[in-house]
Amino acid sequence: MSKRIVVDPVTRIEGHLRIDVEVDGGKVQKAWSSGQMFRGIETILLGRDPRDAWLFTQRFCGVCTTVHAIASVRAVENALKLEVPLNAQYIRNLIVMAHAMHDHIVHFYQLSALDWVDVVSALKADPARASALAESLSPWPKNGRLELAAVRDKVQGFVEAGQLGIFTNGYWGHPAMKLPPEVNLLAVSHYLQALEYQRKVNQIVAILGGKTPNIQNLAVGGVANAINLDNEATLNMNKLYMVKDILDEIGTFIEQVYFPDVCAIAGMYPEWLGYGAGVTNYLAVPDLPLDTRGRKFDLPGGTIFEGDLASVKQIRTFDDWYFKRNVTESIAHAWYDGQWSKHPFEEETVPRYTGFEDSRKYSWVKAPRFQGKVMQVGPLAQVLVGYAVGHEPTRRWTDKTLQTAGAVAKAEATPAVLHSTLGRHAARMIRACVLSELARKHWALLAANIGKGDTAIFNQPVFPDGEQRGFGFHEAPRGVLSHWIVIRDGKIANYQAVVPSTWNAGPRDEKDQPGPYEASLVGNPVANPELPLEVLRTIHSFDPCIACAVHTLDPGGREIARVRAL
Amino acid sequence: MLTPGEVRVLGLGNVLMGDDALGPWVIEELLANWEFPQGVCVLDVGTPGLDLTPYLADADTVILIDTVKADGAPGTIHSYSSEELLARPGGPRLSPHDPGLTDALLALDLVGCAPREILLFGVVPGMVARGIGLTPAVRTAVVQAAARVVERLSCLGFPPRPRPRPACVSPWWERPAAADSAELPV
Repeated sequence: MSKRIVVDPVTRIEGHLRIDVEVDGGKVQKAWSSGQMFRGIETILLGRDPRDAWLFTQRFCGVCTTVHAIASVRAVENALKLEVPLNAQYIRNLIVMAHAMHDHIVHFYQLSALDWVDVVSALKADPARASALAESLSPWPKNGRLELAAVRDKVQGFVEAGQLGIFTNGYWGHPAMKLPPEVNLLAVSHYLQALEYQRKVNQIVAILGGKTPNIQNLAVGGVANAINLDNEATLNMNKLYMVKDILDEIGTFIEQVYFPDVCAIAGMYPEWLGYGAGVTNYLAVPDLPLDTRGRKFDLPGGTIFEGDLASVKQIRTFDDWYFKRNVTESIAHAWYDGQWSKHPFEEETVPRYTGFEDSRKYSWVKAPRFQGKVMQVGPLAQVLVGYAVGHEPTRRWTDKTLQTAGAVAKAEATPAVLHSTLGRHAARMIRACVLSELARKHWALLAANIGKGDTAIFNQPVFPDGEQRGFGFHEAPRGVLSHWIVIRDGKIANYQAVVPSTWNAGPRDEKDQPGPYEASLVGNPVANPELPLEVLRTIHSFDPCIACAVHTLDPGGREIARVRAL
Repeated sequence: MLTPGEVRVLGLGNVLMGDDALGPWVIEELLANWEFPQGVCVLDVGTPGLDLTPYLADADTVILIDTVKADGAPGTIHSYSSEELLARPGGPRLSPHDPGLTDALLALDLVGCAPREILLFGVVPGMVARGIGLTPAVRTAVVQAAARVVERLSCLGFPPRPRPRPACVSPWWERPAAADSAELPV
């Protein structure tokens, strides 16, 4: 008989995700992904000055601040056909890459490692053996026996004091946990170190962006970072070298810690390279512009259908018709008035809540489609497109990952294993490795361009009378983000943000095609319906972020989460 | 840039969600009326979830201002100590927003760079929904909460000085949509 499980975190954050799965024979048969809060924040922008839009969009989401700012200025620039000076492109690119590396590291260590790592098991580890194992995988200097023993003692102390603190949420002792104690100890140690590197990357955004987490240096037409290499108050040599030092440190952490950790986990949980594929149509957009007009990029974008890398079709410019024409959103199963599927320029957002009904409407998230097809977005999409078009750093890091994980698993790993739950984690790590190289490249490009005497940072936007339409996209840490704007007589007449987690977490559409989360859960094993760790593994692998909204603390400790097995 | 050992005053909340803008509002109120001595950092951090961690790390004292789900009429100000904030279990997480203040504090505790002291001024919101603007009771609480922060900083030995000519408190997000906006600072 089938059993229904509902994972419904009722946190201090409103607007969370709810996942329902029907389990039969120890496997998920059907799944529903539901966004539990109405967003529609875009309506706040109507009638405003398009030059201010990025300040507001940056507040859509407290985690994805800069990405909404970037997509917004690009949308207005696209509408005005405004070029952006090279320095401004490079500075934006550096902020974007620093933000993405930060986000990927946090996601893996702080938000999903505990799906795979059993903290309590780490207490049984022999630090000397753990250190020897680490040395065989990586030259990272902080894997010494004494350091690992100190971490073990620290965790032991917390356990004895009855406070597992941050690890309280872990599913330790779960039958699906399989890592040996030594690997668990290494992972816990890196979990702690990741916090330190997360703070370092943040400094780059602060140096270039003026303030964090909400940057202040953007402008439609460029950036507001005055450049004068000899002036303390502007972007100068000293600040540029601070950025470079941090990029080098982060690069080392990504290559010597994040890379081997993901390879080891993928190699030790090889069955999870078989679960969780779901939708194998992929969409990525090009990013890291290398010119002023958005026609040359350092990261490729495009589409792949049915997992066939040979089907890749590239999206090439900031004004690409292939992207512009083919995006729609369906509200067939979302709580909005009507049954339509429309292009973002034509959409309206009229909420109409009717309760959770499996076969009718059950989510506040709309269902975006590309040529009517469900698409998966995110690092996996971007890495597969890069691999398919022969993007050199992507191919190199992907091949290295498959080889290393394959060696741990003692089996051959081909790119096909990437269509999976752990494939998404691997792709995020591959992307971090690629970005860490490209960030250093763009730093050098910026320094060289300034060195040539170019200090231009801004082109003044001019708003003609009448109507202009524009779209701006960004390959954000969670995938394709696009903002769509209609400007009338210099004011915003319509604004839509199609966000990455909408592509992935969206519900079924008018043809009843399930969204990527929903499709990826089908076939997942579930050993214990009361502790649906396996469901969380697959959902976490997408790096969901749909709150985008409110933050009200609940210090009283009321009910904050529930897992219901019905 | 954040400096180790400093006192940080952090406003939390989403300025696009009605009374949830309370935290950022208090920061604007403080910056408009007071000058802060060296060693004090006053910052609107929005709704950072686990990304709050860097803003707590290595601080001596952190004073947080946020809306809270608690008893009392809208505008009521409660204060909470570190112990009160930590005495609360976690739950399964789905998104990077889910781990919040407690998780950030526990993580820093484990690494050994948690702030020495945390104080939260929590205000009961009236209306938290999409839209810009505070309800009258919460707007009144902005001034009261700012006064509590100033008082607390003085007790800690970092008395802010009143600005000779206080600026008008007008956060950018409160600019009316129809009015012509100022040129961006370029």
